[in-house]
Amino acid sequence: MAHFHIQDLTFSYPGAADAALKDVTLSIQPGEYLLVCGKSGSGKTTLLRHLKTVLTPHGQRTGSITLDGTPLEQLPPRDQAARIGFVMQNPDDQIVTDKVWHELAFGLENLGCDQSTMRLRVAEMASFFGIQDWFHREVAELSGGQKQLLNLASIMAMQPEVLILDEPTSQLDPIAAADFLNTLKKINRELGTTIVITEHRTEDVFPAADRVVIMENGRVTALGQPREVAEQLYREKSQMFPALPAPVRVFYEAAQEGACPLTVREGRSWLSRCFPQAPAIPALPPEPPFPAGKVAALELKEGWFRYEKNGPDVLRGVTLTVPQGSFFAVVGGNGTGKSTMLKAICGICKLYRGHVRLFGKDLGSYRGKLYEGCLSMLPQDPKCLFVKQTLQADLEEMGASPEKIREAAQLCQVETLLSAHPADLSGGETQRAALAKVLLSEPRLLLLDEPTKGLDSFFKQSFAEILKNLCRRGTTVVMVSHDVEFCAEYTDLVGMFFDGQMLTTDTPRRFFGSNSFYTTAANRMSRHLFENAVTAADVVTLLRQNREGSL
Amino acid sequence: MRRDAFSGCHPAVNFLFFVGAIGFGATIQHPAYCAAGCIAAAVYYLLLKGRKGFKMLGGMAVLFLLMSALNPLLNRSGKHVLFTWFGNPYTLEALYYGMALGSILVVMLLWFGCYSEVLTSDKFTALFGRVIPALSLVLVMVLRMIPAFTRKARQILLARRAIGKGASQTGKLTEKAKDGASVLSALTDWALEGSIITADSMRSRGYGTGRRTNFQIFRMTARDYFLLALILALEIAVILLGGTGASFTPRLKIDPIGWGLAVYCLLLWIPTLLQIKEVIAWRISISKI
Repeated sequence: MAHFHIQDLTFSYPGAADAALKDVTLSIQPGEYLLVCGKSGSGKTTLLRHLKTVLTPHGQRTGSITLDGTPLEQLPPRDQAARIGFVMQNPDDQIVTDKVWHELAFGLENLGCDQSTMRLRVAEMASFFGIQDWFHREVAELSGGQKQLLNLASIMAMQPEVLILDEPTSQLDPIAAADFLNTLKKINRELGTTIVITEHRTEDVFPAADRVVIMENGRVTALGQPREVAEQLYREKSQMFPALPAPVRVFYEAAQEGACPLTVREGRSWLSRCFPQAPAIPALPPEPPFPAGKVAALELKEGWFRYEKNGPDVLRGVTLTVPQGSFFAVVGGNGTGKSTMLKAICGICKLYRGHVRLFGKDLGSYRGKLYEGCLSMLPQDPKCLFVKQTLQADLEEMGASPEKIREAAQLCQVETLLSAHPADLSGGETQRAALAKVLLSEPRLLLLDEPTKGLDSFFKQSFAEILKNLCRRGTTVVMVSHDVEFCAEYTDLVGMFFDGQMLTTDTPRRFFGSNSFYTTAANRMSRHLFENAVTAADVVTLLRQNREGSL
Repeated sequence: MRRDAFSGCHPAVNFLFFVGAIGFGATIQHPAYCAAGCIAAAVYYLLLKGRKGFKMLGGMAVLFLLMSALNPLLNRSGKHVLFTWFGNPYTLEALYYGMALGSILVVMLLWFGCYSEVLTSDKFTALFGRVIPALSLVLVMVLRMIPAFTRKARQILLARRAIGKGASQTGKLTEKAKDGASVLSALTDWALEGSIITADSMRSRGYGTGRRTNFQIFRMTARDYFLLALILALEIAVILLGGTGASFTPRLKIDPIGWGLAVYCLLLWIPTLLQIKEVIAWRISISKI
């Protein structure tokens, strides 16, 4: 018997013209790992929230949802709380108490468990999730990844049968995200807990899922095993296809026969089968070096910085040159000092040794004029930039003329959102609106701190186009990012940051082509045959060229 | 934080001790008791804070001197006039009274300093969670909100600085005030938004579905029961033995020192003695290895 059964569910938010969910019918089997995919606003979150009565939004609803044959609304709240676990996007706001141990016990307290049961369950969960080491810590001291793991653990302590997760890794860095998703897989495999997840980091989840649901405009448009769904998306030329993992995209775009590879490992062996002998054309022509120009937009020389007098050095002789008009990406692990470097560039952190030059002039010589047309920074959390009641008012705050505002809004594709409250915008919209605000000071150098965090592949694409457009107009963009795929696809130059220093800087193809671990999935799957294919498109091009060559 | 034997005891023991120490410290004006309180509190404070504690003690000494010297300026009664200022008498009795008041203030501040080190928020809520469950949860949540609020405020201000909208960058005072107001409103918006998610997370985990229990991470051991009984007995003894009366103006009238003072000292030295005992036990056990 099906675990969850959703029958003809249609739902619309009060006052909305269009229904958010339309005739959704879906059965979820016990122990299944189900991935729900879709663009932002396709109804994924609305669907997930219907699986738990206390979280179900208000509005017009028809259809039914049953859990083990019982209609969900007839199931007492206490049963639902224990049986259905729900993990949300924001790691911070979900946490209720101030101590790790208390948070672990919070759900059990609500269920009225007695001391000895709680003690045992909390101990079990702390051991299963490897939390023992930070069991007595304050929640505020934890990293984002640890917080989200704590959220998961505190729900697992209630021993739910179903775990529902709404984009749980969107606020995490790639390493913490992979760690989280691995833990989920472990829960599914070892405890048999049913998992329903929405996620745009499909690289990890897509191959692990038993079935995939694709949602578009509130409808389920595809449902099946990952390979079936991938095939259908390709056949229908769906907008969701570019969101699939690189091996899948390469396979279909090169129009191959046989079983589709889902992981990098499968992709490697599939490519090996395609080329019994070494390929005739092993490499793409390397990109021409980026023209250096006379005066660099940004020159950072031997910069040293620490936050406290006796603290450790965060920047340890960082040296960096960014040519004018380039889209420059800085990649590297968490906590290596990348964001600090950005702060040093815009003068918030003062270097105690070394210097910063902007367009040939020393940072200090700009004085108060630094933010008037020279540089501007988009912070990691773009919401921090909005302080007014409407987006329009927020843009006006920058003191630009109405024409300028209209132009910036148009460039960032937010003209239709000007009257909205900034808090009501979706993740991608917030990012673009923040960019519009930052651009109003007409910076020649734009600094971006993790701009693609939490964006789905469509928003990333439109965001990249805006940035490319800016570069063509002569703006220099420096971006700090974890998103290797994004950097490989769109930037002109990539530099590696480690231990407070910049290591190599090169064009994406040369840079990622010479890395073996810190590189894109397409490169990892093809590097044993091709020398410098870093994006799925590169691999497809080389495959085609070689095939035509052999004919 | 340094390891401290008394902090390792059950919160109920900690709480009962501080009720006595702070309660007696605030009400007893007897000079001998005040001095005993000052010494015991200072020693335990140093034990908890280490070298950093000396700074606080220095401040306390200044506070004591100020209180002592200033009281006679306000309080002019008393028989022994030391000198007159602007025609007003500066009396010995009032000076003594000032010293007593100063030491009471110092004792209370020091004990409160120790209290916040020993009885951390989780201990407090563990203690009162059973008595007033709703209130203790609110307290825990507020404790989490305050640092989160300041962190967010700093984040917003930094973000605004990097686009040229920082507090020091905008010109006029009126502009600054307006700017501050809009930042504050943004902070409120952010807090409200966060609280909606927190509320969802709470309800999703069964909050409000029925009787709630309280997870106790601290357990009462035999030693805790013993200390609890001892502290309670000593506190009752201090009250029953009495001899704590003292009045300063217009005439000095101070009770003779009796057994009560010894009992009081014993009570106040419990945390320090526990620590000393533990250090000795540790030394012995190390020497045996």
